[in-house]
Amino acid sequence: MSLAAEAFMSQMAAAEPWPENATLYQPLKEDQILLSDCASSLAVQAYLRMCGLPVQVFCRANAEYMSPSGKIPFIHVGNQVVSELGPIVQFTKAKGHSLSDGLDDVQRAEMKAYMELVNNMLLTAELYIQWCDDSTATEISRPRYSSPYSWPLNKILAYQKQWEVRRKMNAIGWGGKTLEQVYEDVSQCCQALSQRLGTQSYFFNKQPTELDALVFGHLFTILTTRLTSTELAERVKSYSNLLSFCRRVEQTYFEDKSS
Amino acid sequence: MNQNMAAAMELRCWGGDWGLPSVHTESLIVLAYTKFSGAKVAVSPIDWTWKTITVTVPELVCGDTAVQEPTQILNFLRKQRFNADYELTARQGADTMAYIALLEEKLQPALLHTFWVDAENYSNLTRPWFASRSPFPLNFFVPGRLASGALSRILLTTGEAPLHRISEVEGKIYSDAKECLNLLSYRLGTANFFFGNSPTSLDAFAFGFLAPLHKASLPSSPLQSHLRQLDNLTGFCDNILAVYFSSDHFCKIAAQAGPLPPVQETMDANLQKLTQLVNKESNLIEKMDDNLRSSPQHKPHRPEPKPSLSSAKSSTPA
Repeated sequence: MSLAAEAFMSQMAAAEPWPENATLYQPLKEDQILLSDCASSLAVQAYLRMCGLPVQVFCRANAEYMSPSGKIPFIHVGNQVVSELGPIVQFTKAKGHSLSDGLDDVQRAEMKAYMELVNNMLLTAELYIQWCDDSTATEISRPRYSSPYSWPLNKILAYQKQWEVRRKMNAIGWGGKTLEQVYEDVSQCCQALSQRLGTQSYFFNKQPTELDALVFGHLFTILTTRLTSTELAERVKSYSNLLSFCRRVEQTYFEDKSS
Repeated sequence: MNQNMAAAMELRCWGGDWGLPSVHTESLIVLAYTKFSGAKVAVSPIDWTWKTITVTVPELVCGDTAVQEPTQILNFLRKQRFNADYELTARQGADTMAYIALLEEKLQPALLHTFWVDAENYSNLTRPWFASRSPFPLNFFVPGRLASGALSRILLTTGEAPLHRISEVEGKIYSDAKECLNLLSYRLGTANFFFGNSPTSLDAFAFGFLAPLHKASLPSSPLQSHLRQLDNLTGFCDNILAVYFSSDHFCKIAAQAGPLPPVQETMDANLQKLTQLVNKESNLIEKMDDNLRSSPQHKPHRPEPKPSLSSAKSSTPA
C-alpha cells in the first residue's frame, strides 16, 4: 500500500469505533492450516484479546486468496480489510487502542527489533521446516495445504506454493542450510527471547505488548503442533521461562477457549 | 599454533572507495569486525580479477577452510578466539541478535533498492563503479547479475512477487527504512557505540549498513538525506572510520577532518525528534499530494479558458 493510501486508511479507521461484528479469517483449522499460518493467526488473536477487542474467527478454505496481501490472517472490520500483524497493530492504533503507548523510544526500538527477530528467525524456520524439509513437506504440508481441492488442482497448488517458498529461502540465504542448522537457529532465537524475558511476566514491565502476542503465537503453536519429529518442540521446551510465559498468556487471555 | 593459523587468514572482498575500506556492505561488516576484535587478516580485494564472478564475497580463507556470509565468518572468528562480544551480558547478546534482525529486515531492502534498483543511482554510480572494477569482459555481466540478485531479493522478501511490482513496494520499504534509522538513532543516543565504550558485532553490522549510505555520492536518495539528519548515526560512522580505519591505505578521505572527538550531544533531543517527525509528515504530505494529482478521479483543471464567442475582435461592447 502506498503511503497516501495508508494515510487515508488511518483517517477512515479513526472515524469509527471497533464494531461488534469484526471477523478474522484463517484457513480451515482441522485440515488445512499449516504451522506458520496458525502461528501468525494465533498471534493476531492474542493481540486483539490483549487489547480487549472482540473478534470472531471464521475458517475458510480460500482465506489466503481473500487476503489483500496474500498472507494469513486478515481481519474484516466495518468496511475495511487488513492483513498481517504489523498493519493490524497500526489499524487498531488508529482506532485508539494500543498496547505500546507506555513505552519510551528506546524500549519501542527494542520491541520492534525483537519482533523482527521473531519474524526473521522463527517464522523463516517454520517455513523452512514445512516446505524445504522433504519428509515434512510430503507427509504433512502438501497434503494439508491442498486438502480442500480436488485433483489435479491440489497437486498444482501444493507444488506451486512449495516452489515459491523454496525460491524465497534461496534468496535470503537459507537454501543451503541443513535441518540441524535451522534447529540451531531456533534454539539461539529462543535463547535470546528467554534472556530478554528473564523472570518478568511479560517482555516489557507488567503489561503485555504486541511482542508478547507475537512470541506467544509462535511458541504456543510450535509446542502444540505435531510434526514428523518433535525436535522443534523439544528445543523450545528447554527454556522454562518461555513455557511458563506461554501458559500464563493462555490462562489469562484464552481461558474460555476449549482447545 | 593458533598464531600461525591466525596469520594465514585471508579475506576476499570488494575494494574501497568514497573514503571507505570497502563499498560492499557485507565486506564492510567483516572488515569492521576484524578491526574491533583485533584479528590479523590479510585483505585481498577481488577487484580486477576473475574472482568477481567466481567467488561469493566476502569470503574468509584460513588454511583449507573457506567461510562465507558475514554471520558465519563472525562465528568462525569467535571460535578462533577473536571475540569482540566478550564483555556483553547475556541480555545484551540477545539485543544484538534482535537489532541485527531489524537491520536485515527493515533497512537492507531499501539499501539494495537505493544502490541497485533505483535507475538514476544504478546507472550513474553503482554500475560504473562495479564495471570499472571488473576485468574485461566481465564488466558487462557482473553489475547486471548483482542488480538482478538484489531486485529478486527485495521482491521475494517484501512483496508477494506475483501480486506486487517493485513500484508498489517502494513506498513501503523506504518508510520502513526511515523508521529503522530513527529507531537506531534512539537506541544509540549519545554514546559512541551501541554497548558501552568498546565496539561489538552489532556496531560492525550497523557500520556495514550505514557507511555506504552515508559516504556514497548518490545522485538521488531521500534515504541518504534522512540519514544525514541523524547526527549521532553519521558521527558513529565517522568515528569508526577515524579510529579504526584511518591508517589503512584503502581510506583516502577518511582522515580529512582529522580524528573526530566523541559525539557530543549538540542538538536537543526533542528538537531531533521534532525534525524526524516533521520530515515524516512532510514526506507523507508530498506523497499524498502527488498521488492526488495523478489520481484518475481527480478532475483536471480546464486546460485553457473557453474561447469567448464575442470578445475576440470587438473592443467596445457598446
